[in-house]
Amino acid sequence: MRVILILIKKEFLQVFRNSLLWKILLLAPLAEFLLFPYTADYEIKNVHIAFVDHDRSSMTSGILSKFSASQYFINHGVVDSRKKAEAMMQADEIDFIIEFPTNFERSVVTMEPTKIGITANAINTVKAGLGSEYVQRVLADYLMDLSAAAESPLQPKVAQLVTTNVYWFNEQMNYKNLIVPGLLIILVTLIGAYVTALNIVREKELGTIEQVNVTPIKKWQFLLGKMIPFWILGMAEFCAGLVIMKLMFGISIQGSLLLLLGITAIYLLVMLGLGFFISSMAGNQLQAMFIVFFLFILFVMLSGVFTPIEGMPEWAKYINYANPMSFFMTAVKTVILKGSTVESIRTQFIVLSVMAVVLNTAALLSYRDKVQ
Amino acid sequence: MAAITAQNIKKSYGHIHALKGVSFDVREGEVFGVVGPDGAGKSTLFNILTTLLLPDSGTATVLEHDLLRDYLEIRKNIGYLPGTFSLYPDLSVEENLIFFATMYKSSIPDNMPLIKPIWEQLLPFKKRPAGKLSGGMKQKLALCCALIHKPTLLFLDEPTTGVDPVSRKEFWEILGTIKKQGISVVVSTPYMDEATLCDRIALLQEGEFIRMDSPKAIVNDFQGELVSLRTTDIFKLLKLMNDCPLTCTFYPYGENLHVIFYEPMETVLPPFEAFLQKNDISYDKLTQITPTIEDCFIEIVRTKN
Repeated sequence: MRVILILIKKEFLQVFRNSLLWKILLLAPLAEFLLFPYTADYEIKNVHIAFVDHDRSSMTSGILSKFSASQYFINHGVVDSRKKAEAMMQADEIDFIIEFPTNFERSVVTMEPTKIGITANAINTVKAGLGSEYVQRVLADYLMDLSAAAESPLQPKVAQLVTTNVYWFNEQMNYKNLIVPGLLIILVTLIGAYVTALNIVREKELGTIEQVNVTPIKKWQFLLGKMIPFWILGMAEFCAGLVIMKLMFGISIQGSLLLLLGITAIYLLVMLGLGFFISSMAGNQLQAMFIVFFLFILFVMLSGVFTPIEGMPEWAKYINYANPMSFFMTAVKTVILKGSTVESIRTQFIVLSVMAVVLNTAALLSYRDKVQ
Repeated sequence: MAAITAQNIKKSYGHIHALKGVSFDVREGEVFGVVGPDGAGKSTLFNILTTLLLPDSGTATVLEHDLLRDYLEIRKNIGYLPGTFSLYPDLSVEENLIFFATMYKSSIPDNMPLIKPIWEQLLPFKKRPAGKLSGGMKQKLALCCALIHKPTLLFLDEPTTGVDPVSRKEFWEILGTIKKQGISVVVSTPYMDEATLCDRIALLQEGEFIRMDSPKAIVNDFQGELVSLRTTDIFKLLKLMNDCPLTCTFYPYGENLHVIFYEPMETVLPPFEAFLQKNDISYDKLTQITPTIEDCFIEIVRTKN
C-alpha cells in the first residue's frame, strides 16, 4: 500500500512540476470549448438565393416573398436568365438557384405534374444539404398556406408532399448540444490513452523504469501506481468540462450525474489500459504517439462524435462494436441530452466494463519488468 | 558463500554476440572489477545479473538465488547503479531518496549510518531537482538510492565514467567504506587505473573474459621487459618504430612510448639505443618500469590474437 501511495505521489509531483504539461492539461480543454463549438456550427444561416422565373405569376412572386421573409435566406431576387444565375454561382455570390418553369401556376392549379428546379452549390456540402432541406420546407409551407386558404381539393395532395421534421432531444437542432459532449469525450480519451502511454514510454527513455524494475516492486503495483493518478486527473478534467458545459453553453445534464460519472470512470479505465498496453509495445515517445494517434483518429471518425453512425456503411458499424469511444458517446449523449436511466445504457456499461478488464489484463501481461 | 556464481552466460542481439559464454564467481565481501573497453559487453552482463535482461543461455545464482526463478528475491537484496543516470530528474534529491527507500519498504533513518558520509555531501542540495546536479553529485545520489535498503551485493556499472578525477578518487574511497560494511561490490570500469583498486578483476574483451585474477597476480604474470621513453615528437617515433629490427610491441602511453621486449634487457637495450641515435631521435629518458594493468591488458589482448 505504501509503495502504491508513493508511486501516486511521485506521479502527481511530476505532473505539477512539469509546468508545460500542467498548463496544457488546464488550457487545452478550455481552448477546445472556446473555439470548437463555434467553428463546427452546422446550423446554416445566410443562404444566398436567386430565382430564374419563366412563369412570372402571382404564385411565383408569392414564393419569392416567402423566401425574403425567412431568416435563413438572403434573397437576390429574380435574375433574367439561367445563364446569368449560373455566372453568379460561379462567382460564389449565390448558393442556390431556384427555377420556375413556364405555366408553373397553371400546372399547380390544374394539378398537372410540374417541377421546380433547385440547383445548389455543393462545395460546402453541409450548406448544400441543409440548404436544400430549408428550400423544400419553405416551398411546402407556401403550398400548405395556399391550399388551406383556398380550401381547394389541392390540400390532401400537397399535404402528402410535405414532410415535417421533428428533432427529438435537440429540438432547436442546436449543434452545440452534440459537439460539446463530443469534446468532453475526446478530452477524457486524450488524458486516458495519450498522457498515460507517453508518460510510461518517457520513463523507458529516461531509463528510470529500469531503476524501478530492479526494486522488488510487483507488476500490478507499478500498473496501479500509473493508473490511479491519471484516472484522478481524467475524472477531474471531465468534471471541469461539465461545469464549462453548463456555464458557457447552458447545457444541463438531463439524467443522473452519478450515472454519468460512473460510465466515465469505467471508460477511463479502458483508455488507461489501452495507453498502458501501447506503452509496452512502443520503444520511444514518437512510436507511442503515432500508435495512439492512429487509434484515436479511428475512434473519433467512427464514434459518431462528429458524423452520424447511421450514415456509415454496414462494415463500419461492425468495426464500431470494438470502438469504446462509440459506446461511451452513446451513453454520454443519452444521459446528458435524454436523461436516461441505468437500464437504457446497460449495454454500454457492460461492454465498456468488459473492455476495461480485457485491456488492463493485456497491459499487465505485456508489461515486461525484464527484457528478453 | 559466493555472492555470484555464473556459468557460461551467453547473450546475442541479432548477429552480434555481446556475451560469448562468461563464467565466474564473486566471493562474499570482495570488490570485483569488470574491466574492458566500450562495447565489450559490460552493461549486458550487469543487466543480466541484476535480473533486468534474460540471458540466451547459461545459469547463475546471485546471493544463492537462482537468477531466473527467484528474481524477486534477488531484487530485494541487490543495489544497482546503472551506467546512465536513471533517477527522476524532476524530483528533488530528497524526494528521489524517499521514493526509492519506500520502493524497497525500507526507511531512511534505519539505514542512514550506511549512507551518511555520502548523504552529508548532498545535504546542501536536498531541495534541488536531481537533473540539475553536477555529474559527480548525480552519481553520489544514485549511490545513496542504491544503498538505502542496505543491499548485500552492489552492482555499479561504470560509476565514474564522465566524472572528474577528484570525484573519481572520492568515489573509490566511498567504495572502500562500503566494502568495510561487508557489502560485496561488482563494479565495471573502462579506466585501467581503477582496476588496481579492486580485489579481483576480470578483463572483458568482445564478450569474453580473457583473464581473471587479482590485479597483483596479473601484473606479476607479465611476460617481457617494459621500457618507457619520452620524446618530443611521438608521431615521428611511432612511424619509425615500424622499422625497428628488434622483436617488440610498442604503443603510446600518455605522453610516453611504451615498448615491450621479449629478451633480457642487457641484450636488447644497446642495439635499441643505437637504432634511435642512428635515426636522430632525441629522448629524455629511457627507463625500465613495472607494468600497469593497462600494459598487461594490451599484452594479454595481443598474445591472444
